Amino acid sequence: MSAKNETLLFEIPELDTPKKNPKVLRVLISKDFTRIDFGYTTPWYYDKGGWIKISPKTYLQAEGFPEKYALKDAVGISIAPKRINFQSTEDWQFFTLYFEPIPQQDCVLNMIEAEKPTPNDFNYYGIMLKMKEGAVTYT
Amino acid sequence: MPINKNALGRYKVIDMLVRNNMRPYPTMEEIIEACREKLGIDPSVHTIQKDINRMKLDPPEGFSAPLEYNTSKRGYEYLDPNYSISGIPLSDSDIDTIKESIDLIRNIGRSQMSEKFNSAMEKILTTVLEEFPQANSKRQILHTMTPPAARGFEHFDLFYSACREKRPVSFVHYSYKKREFKSITIHPYMIKEFDNKWYIMGYSENHKLLRTFGLDRVFDPFILKKTFISPDPQSLAVNTHDYYGVFPIPQQKMQKMKIEASALATEYFQAYPIHESQKVKKDPDGFSTISFHLIPTIELTRLFLSYGRHVKIISPEWLIEFTENLK
Repeated sequence: MSAKNETLLFEIPELDTPKKNPKVLRVLISKDFTRIDFGYTTPWYYDKGGWIKISPKTYLQAEGFPEKYALKDAVGISIAPKRINFQSTEDWQFFTLYFEPIPQQDCVLNMIEAEKPTPNDFNYYGIMLKMKEGAVTYT
Repeated sequence: MPINKNALGRYKVIDMLVRNNMRPYPTMEEIIEACREKLGIDPSVHTIQKDINRMKLDPPEGFSAPLEYNTSKRGYEYLDPNYSISGIPLSDSDIDTIKESIDLIRNIGRSQMSEKFNSAMEKILTTVLEEFPQANSKRQILHTMTPPAARGFEHFDLFYSACREKRPVSFVHYSYKKREFKSITIHPYMIKEFDNKWYIMGYSENHKLLRTFGLDRVFDPFILKKTFISPDPQSLAVNTHDYYGVFPIPQQKMQKMKIEASALATEYFQAYPIHESQKVKKDPDGFSTISFHLIPTIELTRLFLSYGRHVKIISPEWLIEFTENLK
């Protein structure tokens, strides 16, 4: 079991969620932030690959708990109303979202971009985090 | 006779004491005491006396140090107050070699070096340019291809340190071919360069195999505090010596491959052999049959294809078909 001031890294297997793209890749929990890494590939059905952005109101919430953890920063994706425009249907983007730190305890995490989501919103449910499965990082 | 490491340590202590303006004219006892303190050794008066005599000798035996005993001050001093042995004594040949090396280093391109190496190299270049200002203005004689730094090369230092300290690393990987992102944990053992591209090789927890990943497709690596899985030494031998390139063709083992090369292609294969197993059997018309004994790789087939009509694969059968599909 790690000390609470260490950063824990979780590799996220394929999520049982309708939203497959962007794909959730890793979650890192530190005393200062919660970080989620995503990979996005532009789909064929948008002209020139379309665009992506993330709502500033996006938050994390552990199932069964009322606390919400707000989005603090984003790297590799623009915070709305700005957006990243792609150039082709073969483009791809690695991006990272930083949220307020969640407690280092076992939980099932949801990321909510919109309370009443459309298929375009980045809502993810059921990100299972077991603290004993987290790898401690050197950073 | 070269100066041994212990003696060099004592010379440095003597040099430091003699140059100390706050406590000039160190005595023999003070030098011995400083050696005890700084080097953890207990040299005799005879040893220090010999050191002082040797420091006064001309290079390469000594340092031409103007070191004398001042009888009125009862201690040692440099007659030239600006003298120090810290300036590295170089022969004319050393100086020429350094000047040539500067040319080479410039040509390898600082953009190709990691931040850590770059910083060290910067120090060397600055020092040498101070010492030999003419080295900066010399006409460039050596020239090599120096493309801009590739994406992912910024992770070189992290992977180098992970390999050296045997630490697993988590990173995100993007496959160009599959258009797919994956989170990977690798137990890295080697960084490999091929054709100006950099790769990290190691045991992938996800694949449960030794795998190679292009640094250009690696994102945000983190060194992990977990048990390192060392690769099987037998696999390592295979992985590092028995193929040309980086990515072996799956399910293919070490085998013999034959190509027919035109007279022109033969010239190049003879001038630039691609593997130690390469054997060229030349025909009277200059054409040749070239054989290799190695593990086939994607890079090898691409190399054959790059020769166009000048190279034709003769065997094995499957490789002919495989290469056709790459076209």
